[in-house]
Amino acid sequence: MTTTKTEAATGSKPRIASFAALAAVVGPGLIAGLSDDDPAGITTYSVLGASYGYQLLWVLLISTVALILFQDLGARIGVVTGQGLAGLIRQRYGARAGMVSITALVLANIGTTTAEFAGIAAGAEIFGIPRWISVPTGAILVSVLVLRGGFRGVERVLLALSAIFLAYIAAGLLAGPDWGAAFQGLVTPTLPPTKDALLLSTATLGTTLAPWGLAFIQSYAVDKKINPQQLRLLRVDVIAGAVLTGVIGFFVVVACAATLHPNGIRIDDASAAARALEPLAGPLAAELFAVGLIGAALLAASILPLSTAYSVCDVAGRPAALDDSIREAPLFYGTFATVTVIGAGLVLLPGVPLVPILIGTQVINAILLLPLLFYMSGIAQNRSLMGKYAVGKLTASSYWVIIALVIASVATLGVLSFT
Amino acid sequence: MIPSGSAAPGLRLPRQKPAVPSLDGALVSVAALVGRPVRAQDGSLVGRLADVVVRAEAVHPRVAGFVVRIGHRSCWLHAEDVAGVEQGRIELANSRFDLVDVQRRSGEIQLVADVIDHQLLDVSGVRVVRASDLYLGRTLGQWHLVGADVSWKTFVRRALPGRPKRTPTPGQVLDWAVVHSLAVSEGSFRLNRTQEGLRLLNPGELADLLDDLGRSERRELLQHLDLDSAADTLEVLDDDDAVALLRDGTPERAAAILSHMELDEAVDALRDLDTDEREQILASMAPRPLGALRSLLAYDEDTAGGIMTSDLITIPIDASAGRAISEITAARSRPDQVGFVVVIDGEGHPVGEISAAQLLGVHPELPVAQVISTPPATIAADAGMDEVVEAVVDHRGSGLLVVDELGMPLGRILADDLIDVLAREHDRRWPWQREIGN
Repeated sequence: MTTTKTEAATGSKPRIASFAALAAVVGPGLIAGLSDDDPAGITTYSVLGASYGYQLLWVLLISTVALILFQDLGARIGVVTGQGLAGLIRQRYGARAGMVSITALVLANIGTTTAEFAGIAAGAEIFGIPRWISVPTGAILVSVLVLRGGFRGVERVLLALSAIFLAYIAAGLLAGPDWGAAFQGLVTPTLPPTKDALLLSTATLGTTLAPWGLAFIQSYAVDKKINPQQLRLLRVDVIAGAVLTGVIGFFVVVACAATLHPNGIRIDDASAAARALEPLAGPLAAELFAVGLIGAALLAASILPLSTAYSVCDVAGRPAALDDSIREAPLFYGTFATVTVIGAGLVLLPGVPLVPILIGTQVINAILLLPLLFYMSGIAQNRSLMGKYAVGKLTASSYWVIIALVIASVATLGVLSFT
Repeated sequence: MIPSGSAAPGLRLPRQKPAVPSLDGALVSVAALVGRPVRAQDGSLVGRLADVVVRAEAVHPRVAGFVVRIGHRSCWLHAEDVAGVEQGRIELANSRFDLVDVQRRSGEIQLVADVIDHQLLDVSGVRVVRASDLYLGRTLGQWHLVGADVSWKTFVRRALPGRPKRTPTPGQVLDWAVVHSLAVSEGSFRLNRTQEGLRLLNPGELADLLDDLGRSERRELLQHLDLDSAADTLEVLDDDDAVALLRDGTPERAAAILSHMELDEAVDALRDLDTDEREQILASMAPRPLGALRSLLAYDEDTAGGIMTSDLITIPIDASAGRAISEITAARSRPDQVGFVVVIDGEGHPVGEISAAQLLGVHPELPVAQVISTPPATIAADAGMDEVVEAVVDHRGSGLLVVDELGMPLGRILADDLIDVLAREHDRRWPWQREIGN
């Protein structure tokens, strides 16, 4: 009797302690996961489902596995080295490598920021608000929110709004999908031999495993000063966030495959994509979709320019934070402004189509991912930087398999585009 | 000649401007030297330069030698065997030199591998920078490391395609005397000279610098600090960051630093560690702070007992002012720097309080009973934070005496402890973070 009691007592205590410890490190993975389901992600997954039904679900599965592997790696590198991605690449591989990485990161982030503003424009158009009003308003709102920090709780509202996309899970279930076909699409890698299918597959990879997410998760782990001993808890958070991204993506594809694909509906604008939510929301589908789109876009648009500015300052050796004045940190605020202004400006160019922007930027993401994945894999195996947290041969080869897949899809896309 | 970094605004100690050594000839850029040919006297190619090695013992470290790549081998070239270093090439003094493999030696730093593109401390500008280039200068016939280029323009120039120009085009150059390198040198060797520079930094500045450094650099900097500076710096950091730093080092080092901290701050840091980690640290601690720390750890962190320090001077009411003065004087070297004596009656209850200032000019023979005025403001050890704040506001004093349920003095809360509670400042890095903590 007595022994059982003691066992119970000692057994429950660490569990409570580890739950508290988990709460202390939880956040970055989930935030990155939810922000990954941004307008670009939702649109890409929607088009994937609407155009090809369940056939390309396996691309999403591979992308999610890649996301889990590399988000976990980014968090691990951040925790162990205490340095941001771009700065660490400069330190380990020299000035040129640092420049290549930061250039890739900045370009990819400008592209994705453009996609976020395109999402704001698309969502607002459902409510009949023209983009020349919605996009500048969004840009100003996001900048004030980030730079002044005066909006208590606004970010939580945005997080809640982007959680609207969880509705796809219900919509997907209610749409009565063909589960057999979905399962088959998930596990049988077949690809229609068209440029369009390959383009969408590459965009799916680029939007799921986005460059900014890698830099963000590493920077966040550094910022929280998480200890290597707490690494296992952080991994729980990171993997949960990545799986959440994959699950939402899966149901977006399934919902679109069940509702839009059989009717031959092509997604040319946001209202077409919104029809996938009709099984759940009925006539309110468009409004629900638009609100989620705007919320997720604002959330991601508030992180992207900031994350870019941290990376640029890190690689240039000019650490900065939001407490610094513009005079103290010109590079920081200059980068922030550049990313925001170009992102918003590109959407405002007359006659720019929104859906191609949303998908095209994600294809570019996939290309720009390559140098980052390459250097990250190198750092992961480096014992002088990672010590006992360096990865073994098996894990390292899984990174190289992913890199090979990205190279293959980008290269084939290049060949198809120029022939 | 070599401008130091612009000073950040804020209160700080006057800094001594280090004398810039007189240089004969131009500066040589290390980044531009890499990959350049190493030639024998007859002009024949021996190999290509891979790295420059300095001995890190002086303010401007002397170049000890070079790493030369000959074929696939990295060979050591002693500085004495070099006749001339110019931007374009290196010329050997002798026609032959021994092919010795490069060995890492204690106190030596490889400039390309360990310093360029790594984080450095700019002690004069109080910031973390990355070295874009390093400059060698020749004084008294020897090459020394004299400056670090920390501009991002030089970084961009190095990153762009094409060979670096032969003549260095420095952007923002810091005298090496105001730079603190965190290059991890082999063995237990420490960069003794540059620690002088670190002494000029106040704890708040050190805390800011630690915040911007990577983990191994952070650990290295904490190792370079003497225990008092390290302790003061940890007191400034918020609890999470302080705990993260303590975890980085060995338990022995953590114990040593904690012993130099104010008791209440040390307890705050200890409280945030896991039980195992805490016991490991406490195990290597001297008995004197250990007993006090253990009893303070027993209090709930959100009560008066949780934020007080137990370092208290009590003297009986029949003691003389001279004894009060000598007790305060004796306590000066302790981390908490107690500036008050608590006067207790025969039963041990506090009846008054005397500050060091009140004792100025008082005749040593005068009994303390004649110096005390009003009874001290007290608060129960289990009182919550709201009550503590209210009591301090009501009494308008600089602190409160914490007493147990019998009214016996346990410790003291000073205004700075309350400021820590009320205004936990964090760097705001992401939109969802608050400027002032919850």
